[in-house]
Amino acid sequence: MMFFKGQVKKITELTFNQYCLLLENLQAAKKAVPGQFLHIRIREGLAPFLRRPFSIAGTSPREGTVSVIFRIVGEGTAMLSHLQPGENLDCLGPLGSGFETIDKAACSVLIAGGIGAAPLLFLARKLTDEKKKVFLFYGASTASELIPLKKYLPSEVEIHWATEDGSAGYEGLVTGLFVKALKKGLKPEEIFACGPRPMLQALALKNDQWNFPLQLSLEERMACGIGACQGCALKTKSGDEIGYRMVCRDGPVFHSYEVVW
Amino acid sequence: MQNMQVELGPLKLKNPVLAASGTFGFGEEFSSFFDLHELGALVVNGITLKPKQGNPPPRVVETPAGMLNAIGLQNPGLDVFLADELPRLKNCRAAIIVNIAGETEDDYVILARELSTTEGICAIELNLSCPNVKKGGILFGTAAHTIDKLVTKVRKASNLPLIVKLSPNVTDIAELARAAENGGADILSLINTLRGMVIDTAGRRPFLGNITGGLSGPAVRPVAVRAVYEVYRAVSIPIIGMGGIVNVQDALQFFMAGAQAVAVGTASFVDPFAIPRLIAGLHSYLESQNIVGINEIVGAAHSF
Ligand SMILES: Cc1cc2nc3c(=O)[nH]c(=O)nc-3n(C[C@H](O)[C@H](O)[C@H](O)COP(=O)(O)OP(=O)(O)OC[C@H]3O[C@@H](n4cnc5c(N)ncnc54)[C@H](O)[C@@H]3O)c2cc1C
Ligand SMILES: Cc1cc2nc3c(=O)[nH]c(=O)nc-3n(C[C@H](O)[C@H](O)[C@H](O)COP(=O)(O)O)c2cc1C
Ligand code: FES
Repeated sequence: MMFFKGQVKKITELTFNQYCLLLENLQAAKKAVPGQFLHIRIREGLAPFLRRPFSIAGTSPREGTVSVIFRIVGEGTAMLSHLQPGENLDCLGPLGSGFETIDKAACSVLIAGGIGAAPLLFLARKLTDEKKKVFLFYGASTASELIPLKKYLPSEVEIHWATEDGSAGYEGLVTGLFVKALKKGLKPEEIFACGPRPMLQALALKNDQWNFPLQLSLEERMACGIGACQGCALKTKSGDEIGYRMVCRDGPVFHSYEVVW
Repeated sequence: MQNMQVELGPLKLKNPVLAASGTFGFGEEFSSFFDLHELGALVVNGITLKPKQGNPPPRVVETPAGMLNAIGLQNPGLDVFLADELPRLKNCRAAIIVNIAGETEDDYVILARELSTTEGICAIELNLSCPNVKKGGILFGTAAHTIDKLVTKVRKASNLPLIVKLSPNVTDIAELARAAENGGADILSLINTLRGMVIDTAGRRPFLGNITGGLSGPAVRPVAVRAVYEVYRAVSIPIIGMGGIVNVQDALQFFMAGAQAVAVGTASFVDPFAIPRLIAGLHSYLESQNIVGINEIVGAAHSF
């Protein structure tokens, strides 16, 4: 865990309301693993008051950069989108634990709902480095909200698109698109998912029958981001024991069988 | 030469800045940011006799210049605290104050007794003011006679310096402060969080899993300063002031209102270096004003 000032290198609008923020910090770039996040202080002062958590969407250890992909949903993210190159952002991170990939798996599936694609982009790079065949199922509500992800992904990754209104790709939820691929013979040996809670829950429940190794990156409201306040509780089970674990410290990635919905 | 040391009755601290209970865990998380030895004292998470799971999420939500929390005293219980957390804490060489909460008077008495026979603890803080648990805590902390009775019992069970933490969710905090002093408290700490609520308008329901939560951060500071000011007039025991402290100017308000020490809570979530910054800032302030010790300004606002 660490603290750093990340200098804003570039901020790019990806599609309406969704941005990529490129921060310069060599140590963070070297240290981060897929699944971890940064806890960012948007600016000094009282509004916004708390830090905001964002998954790390990629790193370039060579250039010493870390990227974050975010969607404007409120005051903090709106301010973030107005940052100028050269400004310094106060960050904690990389925080949390990353995705655990399975050495022997040859076919990996990523399932992304909306901005949930962010941590999976970083993971895709790791999986292709591990010489795995990688499929990304990526859904949004409508075509204009789909981020053109191709340029952030290794070319080997096979992308399948879904929109709820059918304006691009498969019409329906991304989980539906994935089920369709399973029926056509897709044989995932590990699955990683990030997206809205209902999507993750639906996937976890279906997986009770499929029994694929499934890891989920979850969100919860955070204050400290480092495990001190016990604010970001997630109900989990381990054996017969049910209790709360902290998304910031014990996650944000959890095995699907650990989560109590 | 400026002297940062303070004596709060029987409790001597190397400087007047404490980490507030529930906001600093058991110290471990912050030890990667700075040496906890720098702290005036570390008040650990509220401990109960039995382990406590805490409240369902969401447990925190941002509010203007502050936040609500409804953690519900999630903690591993006394035994695990003593076996696992305390040894680790002792290694960091900070002065350790243990915050305790009970569902019954006996809980408090047992906790206090057990902690008194444990090495490495410099004081006990009775949490009579947690707004987020159904049983105990604040139930003891809102009436003078229950405070007096409970503090008297705990006083008999322990010879450690005894701090009583007061709730601002009362009509007259000075009356309760007097009751705690009567019961034998050595020190008072205030304020705990203010009860509050946020509604999720899209879902048309309370936002927090616990429905209500406790407000902290700069938003509560004026309430806290007022509480310290009133309590200072009512009692003769030392006060640890807290509520929304971020920087030196904030802390000075508390000293001048009558606190001999201050605690920092929520600010550490925003800036993990908030406490060491405040300690350094206070030192420079004393220097620049030619003040020998904090005591010179304690209560200054009462004699203008
Ligand atoms: C581990 C983790 C990783 C995340 N990764 C990303 C990412 O890669 N890209 C991205 O766009 N968003 C991500 N989010 C969500 C992001 O943190 C919120 O969208 C952001 O905090 C909203 O801030 P705001 O001020 O714009 O919104 P507001 O709604 O005004 O924020 C008010 C408060 O609610 C909190 N909040 C609001 N939405 C969320 C949420 N979904 N999860 C947690 N807290 C929330 C804010 O942090 C703030 O404290 C992630 C959340 C978590 C917990
Ligand atoms: C997340 C959180 C947890 C807390 N837990 C406790 C606790 O266990 N016991 C206690 O006496 N006070 C607890 N408090 C209250 C703080 O110690 C402090 O009194 C209050 O937050 C006001 O100070 P601040 O504005 O600097 O945070 C908690 C506060 C927060 C924000
Ligand atoms: S946000 Fe404080 S424990 Fe996770």
